[in-house]
Amino acid sequence: MKILVALDAKDYSKKIVKDVARLAENTLADIIFLGVQEKATEPEKTLVNALLKHQNDVYSYFSPDDLPYAELPSDQWQERAQGDWSISSKGMKEFTLRIRTGSVAKQAVTVAEEIDCDLIILGCSGKFGCEWSGEMNVPLRIAEDAPCSVLVIKQVRSTNQIVSILDQTVITQESLEMINQLVTLHDAGLKIVGVQEKKAAKNDEIEQRMVGLLKYYNDREVGAWVKLVDSDIVKEYVTDSSREAIVALWMGGKQSLIKKLFSQSMVDKLLETTESALLILR
Amino acid sequence: MLKTLLYVNEDLASSIALRYTAYLNKFVPISLFVTHVEEPGEKEQVGTGWVRRTWEDGVASSGKRLIDTMLRTENIDCPVAGQSKVFVGDREEKVLYELRSGKYKLFIEGYLNTSNPDQFYEVITSPLYDNAPCPVLIAKNLSLSKKCALLCADSVDPKTLVQESMTILGDSTFAFDIVYYKFQENQRLETLDAKEGGHQLEETLSLLSQVGKKVDNIVVLSGTPEQVGDHLREYALVASTMPSRKSMRMYVLAHSLSSVLLVR
Repeated sequence: MKILVALDAKDYSKKIVKDVARLAENTLADIIFLGVQEKATEPEKTLVNALLKHQNDVYSYFSPDDLPYAELPSDQWQERAQGDWSISSKGMKEFTLRIRTGSVAKQAVTVAEEIDCDLIILGCSGKFGCEWSGEMNVPLRIAEDAPCSVLVIKQVRSTNQIVSILDQTVITQESLEMINQLVTLHDAGLKIVGVQEKKAAKNDEIEQRMVGLLKYYNDREVGAWVKLVDSDIVKEYVTDSSREAIVALWMGGKQSLIKKLFSQSMVDKLLETTESALLILR
Repeated sequence: MLKTLLYVNEDLASSIALRYTAYLNKFVPISLFVTHVEEPGEKEQVGTGWVRRTWEDGVASSGKRLIDTMLRTENIDCPVAGQSKVFVGDREEKVLYELRSGKYKLFIEGYLNTSNPDQFYEVITSPLYDNAPCPVLIAKNLSLSKKCALLCADSVDPKTLVQESMTILGDSTFAFDIVYYKFQENQRLETLDAKEGGHQLEETLSLLSQVGKKVDNIVVLSGTPEQVGDHLREYALVASTMPSRKSMRMYVLAHSLSSVLLVR
């Protein structure tokens, strides 16, 4: 598993590092910390220091015997291309710090595509909705454009429920595993919500998938519950849920009902209302 | 052993009910009988006398195969006590007849949880539930919990709740909580002081203690039915009296993510 974490020197980035470390521990993932700066000829000191501090926090989460990453070579940033620097270490797993110039959303999506990562994680400030360094649309654009699943953590708080909204599209094993990780991370229960379309022939398919998932998680001793919700109230239902639970939306294929229902503005609204985190599954 | 009749159909609700029953058996030893009713449409029905009996036997055999397939697929860890009972005709009529003639102590069937409480109300006010001679367990979800909640509210008679639910759960190894519900349009679910439960709560507690049952927690919840229904997910089973009208407690039971046991 490869996890790309978009970070800067702000508080919302510092706060998510512990969750990243726990996720790294549970999944033994390759980790890439990405910082993005204005155009310059070399990495900015503040950003370099912030990334090193975050990396150090992740490393110190592990006991020395369990650390799957090797120490980073000190100050050996390689310029991969113009405005693109990285430094990495390869232990049992790879740990990379990367700095690029440009806009955060665009660079995060580009790097995610380039390295074929499974998950992007980023924090956001909850002061005015969900903003990144004063910009409101960074988390939204990453959530919208990323080629993989995206976890936006607004507030690191204990939540006892993950509400996953089920789509009609094929569910990947990776996304099931991602839910598993989130459940483990928060020691939470999982509510599987199937969206029912009125007079839709595909409702049986949704129900079948829901019950399949219920059994899947129950067999793994994950507390899970199913509930069917009509498509005309699902937006309200999800917005309400997002206040207390982490909402996970499967927004997979082109036929995705969720994708149709949850337009860009709706994801934006969820990012605004959530008091914990939003997971977009692909 | 609690003589139990489980209704099985070829659907997902039944698949949940089968697995849930096997889980329940770990806490309440049950003697399980499985039933299914084939309901042929008007046009499918044929002849009289020998012709009809032969046709009915054929339909019943297909129902029997359905149950066998379900039992094989789910491979539940709960022995079935006898031959599955397959009938042809009106479902409610046939199940009621079997419940009465077989002197069952509990009837279980699956229900796919929806956000529409009217659908739940339709089920619990159906002739089958209205006339059932024993308590009914509606299996809505699977569970990993070892706790059971007795749901009280203003509309619940403590004596009926305790006496009747203990005929089912008295010998169980479940841990018990009493949950008292008060409707309030809150932004979030609130837990109130136990005093807010009033005399009904006290009476329920006292009746439980008379039958030798210890209560782990007494919780008075104030919120909307959705909030409380959601909170109840921490229980393997929520027992309450059968609601006779669309009360707030009925809405709580409709929204409960956990399976519900209805007694009267």
